[in-house]
Amino acid sequence: MEEIKGAIALIGYGLAAIGPGIGIGIVVGNAIQAMARQPEAAGVARTTMFLGIAFTEALALIGFVLFFIA
Amino acid sequence: MDFLILASESCDPAKDIICAPEDVIELFEFKDALFSIGPFDFTKTVFLTFLAMTIVLVMLYVGFRKPRVVPTKFGVVMESMVSFVRDDVAKGTIGPEGARYTPYLLSIFLFILVANLFELTPFINFPLTSRMAIPLMLAIFTWVIFVVVGFGRNGFRYLIDIIWPKSVPIALRWLVGLIEFVSVFLLRPITLAVRLFANLVAGHLMLTLLLASGWIFMSSVGDIGLRAAIGLPWFIFGLGIFVFEFVVAVLQAYIFTLLSAVYIQTSVHPEH
Repeated sequence: MEEIKGAIALIGYGLAAIGPGIGIGIVVGNAIQAMARQPEAAGVARTTMFLGIAFTEALALIGFVLFFIA
Repeated sequence: MDFLILASESCDPAKDIICAPEDVIELFEFKDALFSIGPFDFTKTVFLTFLAMTIVLVMLYVGFRKPRVVPTKFGVVMESMVSFVRDDVAKGTIGPEGARYTPYLLSIFLFILVANLFELTPFINFPLTSRMAIPLMLAIFTWVIFVVVGFGRNGFRYLIDIIWPKSVPIALRWLVGLIEFVSVFLLRPITLAVRLFANLVAGHLMLTLLLASGWIFMSSVGDIGLRAAIGLPWFIFGLGIFVFEFVVAVLQAYIFTLLSAVYIQTSVHPEH
């Protein structure tokens, strides 16, 4: 394993981004579905979508910080 | 074009990786004071903080100096921003009593917006919120407000409701309570600050890398041809990211304000 060089934290960040990537996809996909089914509720759906994205993103952001700390 | 490659001025081409920064500590500390007054160092970041503050004050002063029935164009922009924060963010999330928190929410929204847009301003090209101290300070403001509002509105029951939630089966209550306690009092401010910080750092790095490296490739006139062929699409991709970063800057200001409002809302009505 001595030939492998570079920061292993990079791989850690990549792994940390997988879950939130899938999660944000699910959040946005369902929000679009909600907006398409009920266009009059699009404002509420959009606000809630941003909230959902913001909470889902948190895990990826913790990975980003760990990349700096490690 | 020089302002785009300011970040690469301390380059040492003899190094293995050109322009790799020595460390990342400058993201968390203020280095290179311009001048000092007593114990206070006056750095570029501090200067830009005051500049952002002044811009926000001037915007509000010019926008609302003389209220009139038919506002000026700039007045329309400012009024729509204020009514957006008051009606959509404050009243929309917190409820009718949310109008009380409009001054705070409007202040952080405008400050973060201006600070983020410094990233795309020519000759500044430095997002103020990519230094950890500033988003962390703003997040601590929000933290103090929602904790004080929570205890002020609900007394000690606010804490009891968090660490001993009634709606959870009794066997799991201590576990859920522990998770809730950590998430409310520790993770909320940290993620609030880190979200803003990380988005702006990532955008700043991406712009610097794409535009600076594209420019360096294109301007290396020795063997024109292959290098320029690499540099040109790189540079155009950087310009595309430039537009994308504008969206990110506005969106992150909105999300910070929205999440602050949501956290205050959970303190005003803790049962929801």
